[in-house]
Amino acid sequence: METVINDYISRELVQDPALLPLANETSLMESGILDSLTLLRLVVFLEKRFGITMGDADLLPENFASVNTICAYVRAREPGKREAAHG
Amino acid sequence: MAYLLQRLLIEAAARQPQRPAVASDGCLLTYQELDRLSNKVARALLRLGVTPGDRVGILAPKSAAAIIGVYGALKAGACYVPLDPKAPAGRLGHIVRDSGTVVIVADEARTSQAAALAGGVPGPRGVVVASVPGPGLEEAAVAPAQGAAIVPWTAVAEESAEPLAEELSIETDLAYILYTSGSTGTPKGVMISHRNSLTFVEWAAAAAGLSEQDRVCSPAPLHFDLSVFDIFATCQAAACVAVLPDGAATFPVSIAKWLEAERISVWYSVPSVLTLLACYGSLQQFDLSRLRTVIFAGEVFPPKHLARLMAELPRCRYLNWYGPTETNVCTAFEVPAGGADAGPAPIGKACANTEVFAVTSEGRRVSRPGEVGELYVRGPSLMRGYWGQSAKTSEALVPNPFRAEYDELVYRTGDLVTLEPTGDYAYLGRRDSMVKVRGYRVELGEVEATLYRHPAIREAVVLPVPDELLGSRLRAVVTAAGASNLTHENVLDHCRQWLPGYMVPDIIEFREALPRTSTGKVDRAGLAQEQHELEPAGDGRRNTH
Repeated sequence: METVINDYISRELVQDPALLPLANETSLMESGILDSLTLLRLVVFLEKRFGITMGDADLLPENFASVNTICAYVRAREPGKREAAHG
Repeated sequence: MAYLLQRLLIEAAARQPQRPAVASDGCLLTYQELDRLSNKVARALLRLGVTPGDRVGILAPKSAAAIIGVYGALKAGACYVPLDPKAPAGRLGHIVRDSGTVVIVADEARTSQAAALAGGVPGPRGVVVASVPGPGLEEAAVAPAQGAAIVPWTAVAEESAEPLAEELSIETDLAYILYTSGSTGTPKGVMISHRNSLTFVEWAAAAAGLSEQDRVCSPAPLHFDLSVFDIFATCQAAACVAVLPDGAATFPVSIAKWLEAERISVWYSVPSVLTLLACYGSLQQFDLSRLRTVIFAGEVFPPKHLARLMAELPRCRYLNWYGPTETNVCTAFEVPAGGADAGPAPIGKACANTEVFAVTSEGRRVSRPGEVGELYVRGPSLMRGYWGQSAKTSEALVPNPFRAEYDELVYRTGDLVTLEPTGDYAYLGRRDSMVKVRGYRVELGEVEATLYRHPAIREAVVLPVPDELLGSRLRAVVTAAGASNLTHENVLDHCRQWLPGYMVPDIIEFREALPRTSTGKVDRAGLAQEQHELEPAGDGRRNTH
């Protein structure tokens, strides 16, 4: 999952090539990668790719701090059985 | 008294010297301080040889430093040109060269970027750093590039803060040039004079009922004309501009929290930011009782989301303002309670000092409800033209089709409207291929021209994909030249070198060939139709709210 999300952000959202390769713990806020526009695109991607639905209580800075925190958030929200399947 | 934008500041400082003018990043400037600091910047610009009418770039996000720079440039008799620090260097270089910018004012954090920009093109002879007193950033030594002098804040701060001896401009001089998307591939500069701007500013301050008690926020950056409201109309009322920090702007909940903490009373933005607030802002958790007026402009506010916002914040006034950069805001409509249930809010009636009318495709003036026509605008708020583009100017500014006896020019908006029984105009769509992405104008032709600059792209078409939250997303359909191995990344990287983020296509499709109509033209309608079939309208995911 880290790779999928990192790839998406690196390919679609990073404007400044100097930020690549993107580390999973890099702050998406401080690096300027996430703004209100890119956040929205990321939400749409996560909803479609992982079959989750995000409500207003989910769009919080702590969930989107880095690739790692996004993965932790998605894992907690994903339909349960997938985690077992991935081991 | 001279009819000049900088007079708003000089008078506010005389009337209310100790009132807060700008609250930005924890720093608070009073009107007296803003007035005196901008005098220093003006003197630094004059010392670099800026003469009346010269263009001065402003390279900074909206901030106290940027506003000091704006007023400093105006007081020096110059016309300011906002340079979006986030735009690609290629685009900024084009704007600096095209506008003939002679000096760039930058904040401390962007001194190096400004120096590189000034040194990269012929013309600019220096960079002046604007800042606020106090422990600023460590001023890194920036090597002057190709004859462009760097005037650090320590030197600017040495200048006298006393008023300049005289006004260096008159009301028909240009106050600013705002670059906007151009259909032929390069951005075009909309020239706005002091008189053009003040016509809007004075009306806007009155229409929003601004007083010195207000705390006003617009998240729009300086290069977007919505910023004219918070920078100048706020000053007219000696109210306070509060700058939404970058960190808070990303998350709707953070914006709501900030609105509460900063006790914002007037908000002005594109609808998409408000849609995010309504859908994801958890507004009920915050005390937003100070917020009394919400103004939106730049695109259609989806009625479902406006209704939700009005239900969440029922005590606010809701104003829909309309007007291309070329005319400033020219019509307005106050949405009554429950007004969002009846469909999109109309754009309303003409503002003070402005007239609008619509012309049917047969050249008749729209006079009866239900008739459709292109909206025309006349009055003192109209731009002076496009910088250095007289042919484009004369396509947009045309003789009044119904009043040949006047030698004035009127502006053709390209927007199709209809007249409602109430006398309000309602927006229907465009008559050309301009679309809006989060309120920003995007000429599809400019994106296409950029794609064509890629050596491995043979053909390119860009189509808008309607999106409830963004207005439009952009879909590019391209064919490769020869056997090149063109990749998604290649195309995106290329676009990002030339286009700001909102103009970079979201979807890139590769084809062997583009579909053609019987006359051999690219079949745009067919491509748009297939996308309709691919993605059902409405993009159901948002309908859960």
